[in-house]
Amino acid sequence: MSDREKFLEQKISYLEPEETELEGRGKKLEINAPVTGAVTIPDAVVAGFGDGTVRFFRSDETPKIIDAHNGVVLSITTNGSEVFTGGDDGRFLQISPDGTIKEIASFGTRWVDTVAATKDSIVCSSGKNAYLWSSGNTKEKILEHTSTIGGMAFDRSGKRLAVASYGGVTLWEQGNRRWKSSRLLWKGSHSKVSFSPDGKYIVTTMQESELHGWRIRDKVDLAMRGYPAKIKSFAWVGDIPHLATAGDHQAICWPFDGKDGPLGREPVCVADCGKKISTFIEPLTGEKAIFVGFNDGTVLLSEVDDRKNPFVVRNPKGYEISAISLSSDRSYILIGDLGGNILWSPLWAN
Amino acid sequence: MNNTSEQVPVTVLTGFLGAGKTTLLNRILTEQHGKRYAVIVNEFGEQGIDNDLVVDADEEVFEMNNGCICCTVRGDLIRILGGLMKRADKLDAIIVETTGLADPAPVAQTFFVDQDVSDKTKLDAIVTVADAVHLSNQLGEHHEAEEQIAFADIVLLNKIDLVDDNSIDKVKARIKKINPYAKIVKTNRCDIPLNEVLGLNAFSLDRVLEVEPDFLDSDHDHEHDDDVTSMSFVSETPLDMDKFQSWFGNLLQTHGQDILRSKGILSFEGKDDRYVFQGVHMLMDASPMGTWPEGKERNSRVVFIGRNLESMGLDEGFEGCKLN
Repeated sequence: MSDREKFLEQKISYLEPEETELEGRGKKLEINAPVTGAVTIPDAVVAGFGDGTVRFFRSDETPKIIDAHNGVVLSITTNGSEVFTGGDDGRFLQISPDGTIKEIASFGTRWVDTVAATKDSIVCSSGKNAYLWSSGNTKEKILEHTSTIGGMAFDRSGKRLAVASYGGVTLWEQGNRRWKSSRLLWKGSHSKVSFSPDGKYIVTTMQESELHGWRIRDKVDLAMRGYPAKIKSFAWVGDIPHLATAGDHQAICWPFDGKDGPLGREPVCVADCGKKISTFIEPLTGEKAIFVGFNDGTVLLSEVDDRKNPFVVRNPKGYEISAISLSSDRSYILIGDLGGNILWSPLWAN
Repeated sequence: MNNTSEQVPVTVLTGFLGAGKTTLLNRILTEQHGKRYAVIVNEFGEQGIDNDLVVDADEEVFEMNNGCICCTVRGDLIRILGGLMKRADKLDAIIVETTGLADPAPVAQTFFVDQDVSDKTKLDAIVTVADAVHLSNQLGEHHEAEEQIAFADIVLLNKIDLVDDNSIDKVKARIKKINPYAKIVKTNRCDIPLNEVLGLNAFSLDRVLEVEPDFLDSDHDHEHDDDVTSMSFVSETPLDMDKFQSWFGNLLQTHGQDILRSKGILSFEGKDDRYVFQGVHMLMDASPMGTWPEGKERNSRVVFIGRNLESMGLDEGFEGCKLN
């Protein structure tokens, strides 16, 4: 770096905006590895990192560090009490709130790309197969697919599992004796997948900077397009839900109320952040509001109402937001980015 | 936004089964070079190299729904590169081995199409390992062998101790005919310094400026329509930018499937900058690259490698872009 560049960089750092309220009262940690995801269990927020560690954040305690994987924590989920992670060391782990690790399976040099869990079942994917453990069964069931699995999700009942891959979604339903599958087809590569809270719709993110959805009852297709970037995150917000999605200069919220959901309707666009691209969405539990993280590290909080102004929760730090999680009692928030920066802060002023 | 650091270079290693790719990969993984290389392998299984930087992949070629019929990408590569970029330790380079019969285009196109891949990594070069004994036969029998030569930035002509000089000259001429721009290096057991294979930066637009092809005689007698060949054009007369863009855009739309690689430096009327492009099938990276060096003559140079080039009216098309 030339002296001139050094000087300019210094100058820019002086010009950084003041801290936000949340930054002011929170803990800021620099961890030397990207934050890859975070989940909430009753007494902690648990984040996974690119150095294989999993960290438990609890109110004002020092975070507890668990060496989980020998490599990147690629995926993290919870069944409500325990944490489950998949790694690029090929291991699928169960991590208890006290930090005890139990290896559920190991796939050698094959990565464990995606995981999902409910009270009664846990599932991980490695390559084209999903491996499903249901309560009462010690032996896993192998669910085969024709291409590598991009994402998996259970519905609220835990009796249906959606598996996204190339060409669409395989919908697995638990019958009396076994899991039966049917296919929801749409050309292209699908990755993240989610059921609407009422279980009527399935939505996926695609390689093509768009979303695809199906009304399960009649397999009617819903195409949600017009994004300038790939959609890396989405979340259901509110009782009559909106699907809030990243991948634009703001959050795009599709209405899923009524008989036909978003068919032929306009989305609500909130939390505009100029030229930045949104990369993470997390609902503010209990409110019709969302935290929206951007590719420069900005986080905004906005109601799902385009007449309201958003407010700045975190200022840009130069790295893409890759995790936002609230503690179960809504008292703390964790914000993490790909530069390894963590903000752990009380959500409300005293 | 990406201020994390510079992009990690990715080298694509192609070549028929038995040509010697594994020998080269073994060297990359075991030699004391002080670098951290991740290797993405497909047919490595039996070798049993125990190294946490070896990643198993299934070659999954995805069609993109972007209205471009030949636009395919490697889905597994998008996933794996994304995962590797989340590592805490920094990689110096990534090497992607393709299976013997793979078409290199989807790998290259992945770097043009996926934003995250192109933000965090960059295509460094396509390295093709060829068996000096068997290449001639393979070229006749498998179009994949031709494509691997056509896409190559460097060809390692391996196992040369098994053939005589005369045969080597013949096979080199054969390679040159398909791809006059690839560097050919003769090796035994891939004994080439690694820094001549990795970190070549062959896909950067800067390097296009250095392209000085051996211009071939336009002697196309004994070819089938299906053979991969190359054609190049030079013009001292400045080009009309609008005309060029319209011709070139249309050319890629209609013949992109047959044009494997293209690159060029363009001198446009009324523009001080040199315009440089390089493409794979229909996908293109192009940019002005600074003013023409003083004292050096301005001229436009365009090269194509592909099939059925003769039927595309390239000559007339390029001619039509010249300023009247």
